[in-house]
Amino acid sequence: MTTTLQVGTALEPRTIGPITQTDIVRFAGAGGDFNPLHHDPEFAARAGFTAPIAMGQMQAGILAAALTDRVGVEHLRALEVRFVAPVEIGDVLTVTGTVTEVGDGVATLALAMTKADAATVVTGTASVGVPVTP
Amino acid sequence: MAESLVGLVVDEVEYGVEEGKIREFARASFAEDPVHTDPSVAHARGLSAPAATATHVVVAGHHRDQRAFVARLGLDMTRIVVGSVRWEYDRPLLAGDRLTGRRVVIADETREGKRGGTMRLVTLETTYTDAEGQTPVRQREVLIERGAR
Repeated sequence: MTTTLQVGTALEPRTIGPITQTDIVRFAGAGGDFNPLHHDPEFAARAGFTAPIAMGQMQAGILAAALTDRVGVEHLRALEVRFVAPVEIGDVLTVTGTVTEVGDGVATLALAMTKADAATVVTGTASVGVPVTP
Repeated sequence: MAESLVGLVVDEVEYGVEEGKIREFARASFAEDPVHTDPSVAHARGLSAPAATATHVVVAGHHRDQRAFVARLGLDMTRIVVGSVRWEYDRPLLAGDRLTGRRVVIADETREGKRGGTMRLVTLETTYTDAEGQTPVRQREVLIERGAR
């Protein structure tokens, strides 16, 4: 995979959504997270939400894919995500990323996932191996 | 205060990385790179089989009993949120890999919450070992139990 990562290089932003109950159920089935908070409206209401919310791992998976589609999953050395706020049905999510550091053949990226109102739902950092420039 | 759980083995899971599960997971996370689904693309990039997506080990959820491990840690399920997750990779997981994941408590701390009540932060590390005894991926997750009100 050919890609150039230099300090300041930005990933092309990826926008996903509006998130549907079907998206959440699809991820639940893929990952095996059957916590009713993610599919049962009555349970979600008792937990204080207006509707079922997405599992944090869905946001993490979407964030990771936006990165690896660009840099190649085989070059990923580390990924860390912090969950800041829940994702609700109807949210439109945008993933952005910028290279903050390059050294010793590894690029560090700062990543974020925001909602349409610009509120951050996930922040992250990643380390990606980059070919050493001759 | 609850006794520290550092060193406790929370659970152990064993599963194969399946081509169909990789495809399912790639679709559920909106991944577009054909390296996850097309063996010829994987081969062209030096991989012997389609690569799993970066957070594929989340499928361990199928092999774990969430209620049982939360109870084992002495945490209240209704007050837990996952604060952060970190993955470290030696190589991508590939279709056909056979993994054993051993999850251990590596930190157990309490902190005073901003709005009163004591928060408990439990850090779990899962080390995944492949058939050759190598460790392609490690996952570290921080569970936060909010203070009882």
